[in-house]
Amino acid sequence: MIETRDLTVSYGGVEALHATSLEFQAGQVTALIGPSGCGKSTFLRCLNLMNREIPGCCVGGSILYHGRDVNTAKENLFELRKSIGMVFQQPTPFRKSIRENILFAPKRHGLVAGREQEDALVEESLRAGALWDEVKDKLDKSACALSGGQQQRLCIARTLAMRPDVVLFDEPCSALDPISTYTIEETIRAIAERGICAIIVTHNMEQAARVSDRTAFFYLGDMVETGDTKQIFSAPRDARLADYLTGRFG
Amino acid sequence: MAKGSGNAAPAPASASAARGFDMAAHVRRINAQDKAATVVLTLIVGFVLLILAAIVVYVLASGAGKLFDLGFLTGKPQQFKEGGGIGPQLFNSFYLLVLTLLISVPISLGAAIFLAEYAPDNRATAIAKTLIETLSSLPSIVVGLFGFLFFVLYLGWGFSIIAGAVALTMFNVPILVRVIQQALENVPRTQRDAALAMGLTRWETTIHVLLPVAMPAIVTGIVLSAGRVFGEAAALIFTAGQSAPMLDFTNFDLSSPACPWNVFRPAETLAVHIWKINSEGVVPDLEAVSNGTAAVLLVCILAFNLLARLVGKLLERRMTSE
Repeated sequence: MIETRDLTVSYGGVEALHATSLEFQAGQVTALIGPSGCGKSTFLRCLNLMNREIPGCCVGGSILYHGRDVNTAKENLFELRKSIGMVFQQPTPFRKSIRENILFAPKRHGLVAGREQEDALVEESLRAGALWDEVKDKLDKSACALSGGQQQRLCIARTLAMRPDVVLFDEPCSALDPISTYTIEETIRAIAERGICAIIVTHNMEQAARVSDRTAFFYLGDMVETGDTKQIFSAPRDARLADYLTGRFG
Repeated sequence: MAKGSGNAAPAPASASAARGFDMAAHVRRINAQDKAATVVLTLIVGFVLLILAAIVVYVLASGAGKLFDLGFLTGKPQQFKEGGGIGPQLFNSFYLLVLTLLISVPISLGAAIFLAEYAPDNRATAIAKTLIETLSSLPSIVVGLFGFLFFVLYLGWGFSIIAGAVALTMFNVPILVRVIQQALENVPRTQRDAALAMGLTRWETTIHVLLPVAMPAIVTGIVLSAGRVFGEAAALIFTAGQSAPMLDFTNFDLSSPACPWNVFRPAETLAVHIWKINSEGVVPDLEAVSNGTAAVLLVCILAFNLLARLVGKLLERRMTSE
């Protein structure tokens, strides 16, 4: 589905991520773990070319999406980001109604036309984000009045409304309480079961173990080890990963 | 995980006790400081409010007699006799304000969006920002004389309301650009990222996500600049002129000086009227007219502020469905 080959990222000439080659499958959840500043978020932000928004950031190597290299100057960012959604650490609802939050981007991309299609998309997306039952009576109320966990699920629903086939999660639960975290993990699993490729950055190792099929461990800008989540957590091969899992650093 | 934070906590207390640190006295001292600061700040604010209230009450009280006098509000100004009104001036003030805002708001929005969202962080941008700030502190008499030489004489517009509006735009743009740019920059980065990550362009992000959030601050900026337009005299004396031809609201001949909508007619505003009758007026009821005009001007500014806030609130509610 999406794959990187010798991907490097440098900020102002300093390499923050060394050559990384990883492959992500449809219908699977892949967790990227590692201590703060190890390059996992930087790596994630490459996949939908969000690093291009940071001045002085330079991404080398190739990113193959459906077999096509998208790390080129002529890549259409707007089309690409429609298919590769992203959910951020902080919930980022727009100051609009719940309905408008869902419909805003699909409308701009011309994905829906007419009230009927719009209503259907709103319901479908909010159900996929496990939020429908809580908000179905207040779709025209402001999204900013929702709780933090609800806002984050709205952001997931909003991303799914574009019908992406890859969704990137950048520490989606780090600002949330345990119950909201649980609901969002369930949602991420459900998304993968629908055949979407989900990639989640987390510093919470239990979360990675609970939610992911595959795990990649980053350390000091290197992708150190990758494999099945079970194998990573039960039989780490690299000494640095073993140290990290036992809490000896980070 | 932070290392050893759990057992390190009691250490500072025992260490400071060993150095003879008296916690109770320290708490008393900082509490006393806090109280003293509260009292001093309250006094300062109270003093400022008192001066302000005194001026407002004085102006309104001196002009109260004329404030509700319909003949004064709509009447024709007199050159030698008493009983002159301020009808044309009142209309001119609002018309000039609307014209000025029509010119300066679009320019400022564009400039502010460019500086906040598009401009690369380089020397040229820094110079542009400095120039804008310099422009905002330009003395109004300088802008007035420049407007006189360039718009009135060189471009041949004559003393006209459009020359006044353009001159006032030169004050307004820097204030508005600063306020709007600040408002846009204060919108959290995460909002931008979220919109861009949904495949929206920077323009869509600015128009549909950032501007609604920045709306209240933008309205504040417009109110501030409008106050300046209402109150400005020096720059208008040489551009919009000091004469107020009587206006005929049934006249739609845009070339006639009596047509209210003609932008090339001279247009004395309320503030200029106050200046003029005080400096060269010969009417016997000079003081009453001047006081009345001042009171009307004050009420206009207040009314415009309230109106602008109301409109801003409605606009915000529509854009954000709150």
